[in-house]
Amino acid sequence: MTVEIPKRIDQLPNPEPRYIGKRVTRREDAALLTGRVEFIDDVALPRMLHAAILRSPFAHARIRSIDTSEAEAMPGVEAVVTGADALRWQRVSGSSPDGWGGRCPAVEKVTFVGEPVAAVAATSRYLAEDALERIEVDYEPLEPVVDPFAAMEEGSPLVMEANGTNVMMHRVFTWGEVDEAFDTAAHVFTERFRWNRVGANPMETFGTVCEWDPVTLEMTVRGAIQSASFMGLGRAATFGLPTNLVNVKANAHGGSFGGKGGGRGIDIAAMLSRKAGGRPVKWIEDRVEYLTSGGSQAWDRHYEAALAVDADGRMTGFRVTLVDDLGANGEGYGSISAAKPLTAFTGPYTIPAAGYDLALVATNKLPSGPYRGMGPPPHFMVLEQLVDIAARALGVDPAELRRRNFIPPEAFPYTIPSGNEYDSGSYEEVLDAALALAGYDDLLRWRDAARADGRLVGVGVATAVEPGVFDWNAYATVGLPQTGVPEGATVSFDIRGCATVRVGFAMEGQGQYTLVSQVVADYFALDIDSVRVIQLDTLAAPPSFGPGGSRLGVAITGAVLGACERLAEKMRTVVAGLMQTTPETIELRGGRFGIPGVPEAQMSLAQVAGTMLARSDLLPPGMDPLPEATYVWTAPDRTPADEMGRAKSYLTAAQAVHVVAVEIDPDTGQVEIVKYALADDCGTRLNPVVVEGQTDGGIAQGIGAALYEQYVYDDEGQPLTASFMDYLIPTIAEVPRSDKAAVVTPSPFTALGAKGCGEGAIHTTPAAVMCAINDALAPLGVRARETPATPERLWRLISGAGVGASGSTGEEREQS
Amino acid sequence: MKPAPLDHAAPTTVGEAVALLNDPEREAVALAGGQSLMPMLNLRLARPDLLVDLTRVEGLDHIRESAGWIEMGAMATKRAVERSSLVRERQPMWHEATLQIGHPQIRNRGTVGGSMAQADPAAEYPAAAVALGAEVRAVGPSGERTIPATEFFLGYLTTALAPGEILTEVRVPVIPPGRGWAFREVCRRHGDFAMAGTAVTVDLDASGRCTATRIALFGVGPVPARAVEAEKIVDGEAPGEEIFERAGRAAAGAIDEPLADVHASADYRRHLAAVLTGRALAQAATRAGRPEGS
Ligand SMILES: Cc1cc2nc3c(=O)[nH]c(=O)nc-3n(C[C@H](O)[C@H](O)[C@H](O)COP(=O)(O)OP(=O)(O)OC[C@H]3O[C@@H](n4cnc5c(N)ncnc54)[C@H](O)[C@@H]3O)c2cc1C
Repeated sequence: MTVEIPKRIDQLPNPEPRYIGKRVTRREDAALLTGRVEFIDDVALPRMLHAAILRSPFAHARIRSIDTSEAEAMPGVEAVVTGADALRWQRVSGSSPDGWGGRCPAVEKVTFVGEPVAAVAATSRYLAEDALERIEVDYEPLEPVVDPFAAMEEGSPLVMEANGTNVMMHRVFTWGEVDEAFDTAAHVFTERFRWNRVGANPMETFGTVCEWDPVTLEMTVRGAIQSASFMGLGRAATFGLPTNLVNVKANAHGGSFGGKGGGRGIDIAAMLSRKAGGRPVKWIEDRVEYLTSGGSQAWDRHYEAALAVDADGRMTGFRVTLVDDLGANGEGYGSISAAKPLTAFTGPYTIPAAGYDLALVATNKLPSGPYRGMGPPPHFMVLEQLVDIAARALGVDPAELRRRNFIPPEAFPYTIPSGNEYDSGSYEEVLDAALALAGYDDLLRWRDAARADGRLVGVGVATAVEPGVFDWNAYATVGLPQTGVPEGATVSFDIRGCATVRVGFAMEGQGQYTLVSQVVADYFALDIDSVRVIQLDTLAAPPSFGPGGSRLGVAITGAVLGACERLAEKMRTVVAGLMQTTPETIELRGGRFGIPGVPEAQMSLAQVAGTMLARSDLLPPGMDPLPEATYVWTAPDRTPADEMGRAKSYLTAAQAVHVVAVEIDPDTGQVEIVKYALADDCGTRLNPVVVEGQTDGGIAQGIGAALYEQYVYDDEGQPLTASFMDYLIPTIAEVPRSDKAAVVTPSPFTALGAKGCGEGAIHTTPAAVMCAINDALAPLGVRARETPATPERLWRLISGAGVGASGSTGEEREQS
Repeated sequence: MKPAPLDHAAPTTVGEAVALLNDPEREAVALAGGQSLMPMLNLRLARPDLLVDLTRVEGLDHIRESAGWIEMGAMATKRAVERSSLVRERQPMWHEATLQIGHPQIRNRGTVGGSMAQADPAAEYPAAAVALGAEVRAVGPSGERTIPATEFFLGYLTTALAPGEILTEVRVPVIPPGRGWAFREVCRRHGDFAMAGTAVTVDLDASGRCTATRIALFGVGPVPARAVEAEKIVDGEAPGEEIFERAGRAAAGAIDEPLADVHASADYRRHLAAVLTGRALAQAATRAGRPEGS
């Protein structure tokens, strides 16, 4: 039986949907906010032990020996693990590109400060930390390499000697006639950019409780885990276990944004458990560990980029050379972040040709991990700065130059040079909405008047495409398997007609349990309170990947609707049997099954479910009596990548335009955001409250990246930002209130027309803020090319300009 | 992030607390609001044998006026100071400094005495205390003594408190009518420690010239310091942008070796000190002669 998933709200079997598309208050919040939910640190199991991890103080050193005997002899210490145990039980972890993984704790050599060297399980965390002080490690310090350009040089210290080089991958991608585009362009604008390391900072760090039975080898993993099934597969691969021996119970968690990382903490806790006879071992990552050696750091990038523009202001080519400093190895998905820009390389523009020269480089820093947006946010910062540089040089209004180059609505579905297909869009309409909301013309008048008074004020307009619905095909370029990503759901009714939906992902903060409830309630015309969503362990749950890559809203809506379709079909068969007719004559409408136009031939949902459960003798012969159905959704029509990495991968393309006005204090370099307005289009907005929440969070993180956040290392590879006193995430006082407008262009490819929107604003905010800053600096003839644009960096540019030196040191050139 | 093993004692009188702090067998440390000490304990950067918790000691949390001084008990929280109308009206600079310390959560627990004893180079209270001519009272095994703020801060995180001495009170002269003041700082985010800051008071004489100017810089050197040269430049002059900017540059130029960290280099800190001092002098001069403050 093929399942037709409704692509529009009006295709639901319910003429009066009450929830989808409405501002529905998130149902999970009360329990989350009052702590009724079990977070990982709440877990207390009988005989549970507590782990602490000894970490390398060196960025690069050989481990000559480790003596754990004193620690092991301490009362209350039940297990100690080192690299020797990793060597015994673990395989070298998978990495991308291949061949850059290792074992944990470190074997023979440490390659970044904070790398685990040993770990202790004891009857309390206090004792475990006391025991760490009794472990003697004899290190032979080696020269570290911290700068990726130095790392690429002949004779550089090698992060992994066996590989003979620190260049993990170097590839040149060419899409279309890019050389010709640049050779024949009327204008070419070239500039260098530096995006410093930033990353995810959820309120809750990672934590886990692991049990690994030394006899049966069954492993039970609890934890603040973003993708439970994926984590389980990873552990099975690392330990060489049959995948069905690893059961993951993900706890609700306080955000992730990609930063939950966690595989290595689990590996350590699991080995400790096995050594302690299978006793549960809890490990809670503390904030210093999170910031220096967790899943916290991403996108450490050096760009040189060029834009070719013809005489009419049409962009004809875009070239990017990226040196991406991935830190010590390829385990943390940093490489994926460099590959993802392929899914939206040319942004919302009709640029026909593009090139990407991509070098992934290993250094003695924390391996770079995933972060909300997974790579495109820096890429769009670069593209949008170049568009502004072009607009300024050509004397065209930046909004107008963008408008001129937008992919027009009738061109969708639209295949970009790097191979991905955008589903739909109304880019000009979004631009107009944003400009209107911002009062763009007034803003420009305000700017010009203030500028005439000598003030440094600027207005930025930036736009970006958010690739939605994560798909592995995009990552073939960095060696990942090309496959789809499933999401499943089981919808069932009990004898009173209440619905329970079983899913495989934990609550993470994005409100998907509310979304599931909305969909089921509207499909069957139920009150939302009679729908409950529960999460199953990985070995019991339907296939699930969970949140990530702006996918879960679209994917779970597809899965739940598929299950509803199947369940409705099943129930129609039952009703047809009871009414002695054929299933095709039975209709589900407004929550009732029956023969259309025959009032006495109608049954309520509860009657049908009740009959199935309590009177299976009345059902058609051979009929499964359970009023439940499961559906596993995958994105349709995805294609594997060709030799240039071109694939139909991410299913949806949302788009946004942000307008920002700033004022810079010329004496201190401090930036004040005076105005923030935006419009976005993520297709059907299944719950506008949730979309706006995602946007607000993305803006906050974008402001952080543009103005505040940076992981700093010294020349020896020592992290200097080990606490929130030094790694500055914006607080509510730093995040502007934004005005928001919505344009709705449904996706033709997804359930109900929704697009991925979970990463959203972080794609656009850094670009928009930098555009505004550079507009403010334009009269001085200097450009801010490094994020974050800290007060000191801006002060240096401004004061340099004051004495006649150009902050731009001549690398950028305009050739006409 | 758990402290090394330690004992905890919660005395109820200053005498008991001093006795505990002077236990010859154990290294003891006073615990006030814990906002600086707890992180150091958890990072095992501080490893005392004994925590002498001052929260239950009687009589250390007053905020009152006496003979021209605002007296604040060491255990008065910043939140209590912030909410005190007495401080707001009679010592508005201290009030303003309070608002710039951290966030409400920090001010709920952090104490007046804790900030003075911690002596962070970028902290607000030490700078305000130096600018205003405050005094610190301390009790030790040999009794009570009073230390002028200008002699209290000896070096980076180091004060004139002897080991085993408890800071009991900070007293700050009220701002007399007609005295202009300003308290300004630049931080990366709202509530952060300052990259640079300045606390300034200015009086105007009968002819409208500046007199008795006091400038204290913070966040730039190991301790909050008076900018004496800059004060001299201002005194005797009519208020004016040019003279204040010159004083700002002089104040900044006199900094020995500005601090440097991931937020701000030494150069930038020095530059900020000049800018802020100039701006603060202008604001203070504007306020001077206007009894209703602001
Ligand atoms: C996120 C954050 C932001 C902050 N921002 C700022 C800021 O912007 N500006 C600022 O000034 N501070 C800031 N602080 C520090 C805060 O103000 C602390 O409260 C203060 O430094 C110490 O006060 P406390 O009462 O917490 O003292 P504690 O932490 O308990 O003690 C600090 C030190 O003082 C000693 N001590 C305390 N009381 C006495 C006493 N009565 N006698 C003798 N010794 C004593 C202790 O032994 C210890 O060595 C911040 C702190 C945090 C956590």
